[in-house]
Formats: sequence, C-alpha cells, structure tokens
Amino acid sequence: MQQFMLRPEEAASLPLRRLYSDCGYSFYRMSRFEEYDFYADKKDFLMSNAVLTFTDADGRLMALRPDVTLSIIKHWRNDGGVQKFFYDEKVYRVPRNSASFHEIAQAGVECMGALTKKDIDEVTGLAVESLKILAKGRRYVLDVADAGKISALLNGNREQNAILRCLAEKNIHGLKSLNAPEEIIRLAGSSEEIGECIRVDYSAVGSLSYYNGIVFKGYIEGTSECILSGGQYDNLMAAMGHEGAKAIGFAVNLELAGGIEHA
Amino acid sequence: MLNIALPKGRLGEKVYALFERAGYPFAGMLDNTRKLVFVNEELDMRCFWVKPFDVPVYVERGTADIGAAGKDILMERNPDVYELLDLEAGKCRMAAASREDFIDDETRTLRVATEFPNIARKYYASLGREIDVITLRGSLELAPVLGLSDVIVDIVETGTTLRENNLKVITYFADLSARLIANKSAYKFKAGIITEIMRRLKNDRDN
Repeated sequence: MQQFMLRPEEAASLPLRRLYSDCGYSFYRMSRFEEYDFYADKKDFLMSNAVLTFTDADGRLMALRPDVTLSIIKHWRNDGGVQKFFYDEKVYRVPRNSASFHEIAQAGVECMGALTKKDIDEVTGLAVESLKILAKGRRYVLDVADAGKISALLNGNREQNAILRCLAEKNIHGLKSLNAPEEIIRLAGSSEEIGECIRVDYSAVGSLSYYNGIVFKGYIEGTSECILSGGQYDNLMAAMGHEGAKAIGFAVNLELAGGIEHA
Repeated sequence: MLNIALPKGRLGEKVYALFERAGYPFAGMLDNTRKLVFVNEELDMRCFWVKPFDVPVYVERGTADIGAAGKDILMERNPDVYELLDLEAGKCRMAAASREDFIDDETRTLRVATEFPNIARKYYASLGREIDVITLRGSLELAPVLGLSDVIVDIVETGTTLRENNLKVITYFADLSARLIANKSAYKFKAGIITEIMRRLKNDRDN
C-alpha cells in the first residue's frame, strides 16, 4: 500500500476498516445530504445543535449530516436478526466552544436488531481493539459506564442536567451542593480497572437522551481529548420508530487518530 | 513530566502557596521577575503562570495536565475538563448590581455590562429576561454610574467597591473560589500523581 498517497486520517482508518470487515461487519455508504427536517425534529439526539444547511436545486432545504448513526437508523429495516455495519464518513459539526463548522472524519461500527450480550461484548471488544491499533504502542484506556443505572438513580430529579454535568466533570463538591443521590457521588469518585485497559468510570456518561445502556469513551496517551465514544442507544431506536429494537455502536475521531505518532 | 498551569495574579499566588505547603515547591515562582516557566526536576513537574482566563484553555488542550482556575472563569469558558477539587481559595460571589436608585422597568431590554458575557446571558435566560450584553474589560462600576448600562454582572468579594460607587447588589447567584482542574486524557494516564496532588491539597485544606 502506498501510505505516502494517504492523508493521515485516511491512513488511520484503513486498519480499522480491515478489523471491522474481518469481524463480519459490512461497509455502509450513505448520502452526504439529508433533508433538514430530518434533523430538525431530532435535535435532542444531536451532539451539537447546529446543522449546516443549504438549498438544493429544487428548493428543498438540505443539511450536511452532523451524525452518521441517525442516517443509518433512518435507512435501517428490522429483519428480526442482528445487522452489523461499519462506516468511514465525514460529519459537519460545531465543536464545543467553537463558533464555526468543522469537517470531522469518523469511522465507526453500528450493531442493530435483536442484540444479545454476545453482540454487546463484541462491540466493546472492537472498541478496545480499535484503540490498540490507533495507539501505535502508546498507552490507551476505554472508560465504560452504565447509563441505565444513572438514569434510574436520577428518575424525576429536577437537577438532572446539572448533576450529569458534575458527573462528567468528576465534580464531587458540585454534586454535594446539588444534593445528588449518595450512590452517584460514590460513582463519580471511583474509577475501577475491570480488565486490561478497561475501566469503569462514570464520567463517561454524557447525555441520557442518546444512550441507555453501556457507554464508552476511549483515550490514548498524548491526545488531549476523547478519541472514541459510543454506547447502547435503544432509546434512539425507539424514538425513530424501531420500538423494541436494540442497538450499540461507537465512532472514532479520525482527525485526532491521524495525529498520533508511533510511541 | 507533569505540567501545571496557575493563574497569574493574586489568586494564583494563594493557590501556589497551597501547592508549596502540600510539598510541591517551584523555586522562584513568587519572585518578581518576568520568568513564566518553573521546573522542579526532582518532582518531575513543571509549573507556569498564564493569564487567569487562559488556564482552562491550556488544560482542555492538554498543554497543562492540571491547573487552578476561578469558578467564574470555568463558568464563562465552559471547558471540557475534570473539576477535581474546590481549593476554597479566593472565595467570592457572582452578583448582579445596579445604582442604588435604579428601578427596573421589566418591559424594557436590560442593559448588562460584564466581563462574563456567557454567565450573564445564561443567568438572565434562566429568569426569562431579555438583555443587551455590553462586554467590558474591567472598571465595571463605571458603567451604571455613567449610564452605559442598567446593571453589572461581576464578582463581589466584600462589596466595598460597590458601596464606594453608590451601587447595590440586586442578587448573588453563584459561589466562586479556585478549583483544581485536570485534562480528561491526562487524568487517565497520570492518575497516580494527579490523585496524590489532590489528596494532599484536600488534606491541607481540611486541616
């Protein structure tokens, strides 16, 4: 392979594509555009609120996709079994604390349908394996947590959003001042190794509207932010008309991955 | 090597004193020179002074592994970092204040002068009040006195400056102090040393 012909994010995606393909995931290609309306009523599920729009030749308002998972779910047909996809696409988002759109290259997997524990373990394993490949000999860690547990503990709590924020910040003093449930305060302060390069760490739980089961965030030594994130999103499937279907997936930020040099 | 960003100024000096007491001294940190970076080879740590507003940026981007920043600046910048400890240094409050004779006409857009536009917007949005934010870089008390704004949103420690300018606090809405923050990724791979620093700072704070 002529590595010198590839941009760094492309070079980072190739071994991932091979990994996912070898595990029986099929390559998913999608249109770059969706009608804006599709995203407008799913704002709760978007990681950033801004959507990059343009008017199509026939006058329809279109959007450059801010999220791959939503598009895959939209075109998904439930056949009663388990379907597995991987993708390598660009998304258009306004990153936190930024005032402009960025094009971000992402690779990831989605596993949808009548999932069993085996499928969930497989995707979690693929997340760890992806980090290992991208880390190129550097240290890496996958933080996992159970969003369902936090959801149950916060059931009906008026301070839910403020508590979730403090949890993501490991902000114990903040949780105490919000009178957060004791169990959440305990979880916020703990980080427990449960396997090689896997830790239970509840700061991985972000918004509860997207994920309902296991959530993960992956880090590689030397990159300043989270490089892999994902989890189980049955709620999103239900919200998009697939009541009862389960789904799990993750995305890798290839822009960050492309910047990692060998240890 | 662990990198630490501290805010240049009075609050930073207080926080540095806490680090020194906890067993993390950096020679020359408090000397009045233009030097900004200080290394303690023995501890394998590097400490540097940056503008208070920039501490969250250095930490979020991973140039500093940990840092100390005022809660006001964290609220304004909203960085994606861990907020590990309330250092309880530089305690003060965020307040809205106006001239003593100011009577609010709620049908009008409120003119708010502040150094913290995001905090002001968020606070008044929570009240459902429409505002016109005027961002200034200091001497906030002048704004209502000269008629530039109706109110100011600012940090209040004792309230003396407000009183001297015939201003009154309308409401206090956030407790502020210095916080120990950490880069999320750095925390994963330098957890041992970061939690040790946290433990010692907390111990000293509580004793």
